[in-house]
Amino acid sequence: MELRTLTDAFGPSGYENPVRTLIRQEAEKRCDDVSVDRMGNLICRKPGRDRSKPAVAVAAHMDEIGFIVVGHTDDGLLRFRPVGGIDPRVVVSKWVLIGNDRLPGVIGAPPIHLQERDDLGKVLPFSKLHIDIGAKDQKEAESLAPLGSYAVFDTPYMEYGDGFVAAKALDDRVGCFNLLKLLEEEYDCDLICVFVTQEEVGLRGSHTAAFSLDAEIAVVLEGTAANDLGDVEERFHVCTPGQGVAVSFMDRASIADRALFKTMLKLAREQGIPAQVKRGITGGNDAASFQRGGRGARVVVLSVPCRYIHSANNVAKWSDIRAQADLARAFLKSL
Amino acid sequence: MEMKAFLQEVTAKRGLPGDEGPVAQWVAERFGEYCDEVKIDAMHSVVGRIKGDGPRLAFLAHLDEVGLMVIKVEDDGSLRLGQVGGIDPRILPGMRLTVFGKETLPGIVGAKAPHLLSEEERGRAQKLEDMYVDLGLPAEKVKELVRVGDQVQLEHRFVELKNGRVAAKTLDDRCCVAILYRAMEHLKGLKHQADLYFIASSQEEVGGRGAMTSAYNAEPDMAMVLDVGFAHQPGCDRESTLDMGKPLITLGPYLNPVLTGKLEEVAGRIKVEVQKEVAPRGTGTDTDEVAASRSGVPCVLIGIPVKNMHTAVEVLDMNALEEAARLVAHFAAACEASWEEELWN
Repeated sequence: MELRTLTDAFGPSGYENPVRTLIRQEAEKRCDDVSVDRMGNLICRKPGRDRSKPAVAVAAHMDEIGFIVVGHTDDGLLRFRPVGGIDPRVVVSKWVLIGNDRLPGVIGAPPIHLQERDDLGKVLPFSKLHIDIGAKDQKEAESLAPLGSYAVFDTPYMEYGDGFVAAKALDDRVGCFNLLKLLEEEYDCDLICVFVTQEEVGLRGSHTAAFSLDAEIAVVLEGTAANDLGDVEERFHVCTPGQGVAVSFMDRASIADRALFKTMLKLAREQGIPAQVKRGITGGNDAASFQRGGRGARVVVLSVPCRYIHSANNVAKWSDIRAQADLARAFLKSL
Repeated sequence: MEMKAFLQEVTAKRGLPGDEGPVAQWVAERFGEYCDEVKIDAMHSVVGRIKGDGPRLAFLAHLDEVGLMVIKVEDDGSLRLGQVGGIDPRILPGMRLTVFGKETLPGIVGAKAPHLLSEEERGRAQKLEDMYVDLGLPAEKVKELVRVGDQVQLEHRFVELKNGRVAAKTLDDRCCVAILYRAMEHLKGLKHQADLYFIASSQEEVGGRGAMTSAYNAEPDMAMVLDVGFAHQPGCDRESTLDMGKPLITLGPYLNPVLTGKLEEVAGRIKVEVQKEVAPRGTGTDTDEVAASRSGVPCVLIGIPVKNMHTAVEVLDMNALEEAARLVAHFAAACEASWEEELWN
């Protein structure tokens, strides 16, 4: 499956259905044991050739940050709030798709001509932003996009520059894309590929997945924020697109298993897979759930560096996306 | 070409102030379908003429768009931007821009991530100087392809919303260029006496500079200017904004009251519903230059209400465009020599 198909798919946290359907069709071609649990996690079990090896779960999240409709104005606009962590600065003058019919909508801003100088210096908060679908009045808006309707950024996948891709939801459809790649091969260890839900609203899918999977090792495939351009001091860059998959020693939600962390870097070095250490203790992801769910697991996170994460345009480099799959595969083969 | 298709294409064309060549070329070709003669003048304004024996009547809608310009290429390969025309920088983070370097390059606007902002920075909007464009290219390559002064265009998408509303950049003022085109089509079925000039003017966003010379050249006896107005939306008070769906007529000292009366008569006769607004002094449109061209040009000003003006998601109602096009065509057809004497009586 192409990455484009995954990033263009609609899947805000809590409504991952279209993404799950796509992934399931693909996974079933590569795996005989595919199931969905009661949190909507898609679980693909692939028994290994050697029962003495540890069971390894590899996880990626299907959900993306998005929006949810919380009200309607007299003149037919939609009031909305973010689903997941979105800075209101990145939503002004952007395009969205809403609800089951994927209605196109735009997020406007008052014209510069009618604003006071002071107001131009302020951040427009979600309470002052609206989605316009062209509805004439409140009644029409309510019928077209009822309360609770989901929306996502409308950002067609684009390749640009020197091997870069810009799309919505690279966080974490790159992980989903690579997880499907891992399912194409056979390993000695038992492999459980799990596509989880609701990462962006509090690691909730992985919470229940960790409980039922009971893997000894969990590898999380993620996208993580890269701040390597503009006015950011080098020490806050965290990771750099083009320098390979980022291996975390710690983030705000979990501390990597030290041995796994070292193994990953060693494998990368030995096999010439581009890798970098994530140079910061930022973000948090499903590794926290796997580490502490049920009987616990040894965890490590492999991330694709991603600029402008949680905006309409996530930017990542193809060489890093490939390195994430290569390192995860090398690890599974090494067991 | 249908008006919506025209609008979709024309809003995509390159044409920042001073750089209207590409959009002017395209518009000149379209105008050529109906006009007796079309030329692009020294300022990049497009002037189409449909000949008549009566008074010279000019219609003006501006061709240029607000945008950005490269002011620095940083060592990391990112670009810094300056404004061309009035843009609220808050619309930019996360947007895909088009940079017209040696090649046409897509770029994404970046700014510091929220978790890296200081307490003070978090409280305020980011300024243009805090932002940059990411071309996804190594610095050496960027320096080869992009120069200071290169033009940068806002992201273009043409989105059809419900109820005949559409969203795109540069509806200001290319929707009015679309009206002129549609009006020419209507005029094929109408008789007219006036000598008609259809002017798609350049450099309005930096101060009516194209209109100045086009009006000088055409030397019209009367003129109608078409531009966008503010449609009602949250964050703007009702009094200074208009309803979607109907064209507007502007009143005020820069506009000729008798000619405006003629326009209203025409609107009433062909049943075009209009709304009115008042500009107590300058109109902020090409009118301000045209009305004072040579020894003076009596002007009327009509407009289309647009939401989110000067963003990449300006929204208008196609019905307002259709109605305005009928009004323009019938006004052109109604114009006769006797009007000139009436204007000052």
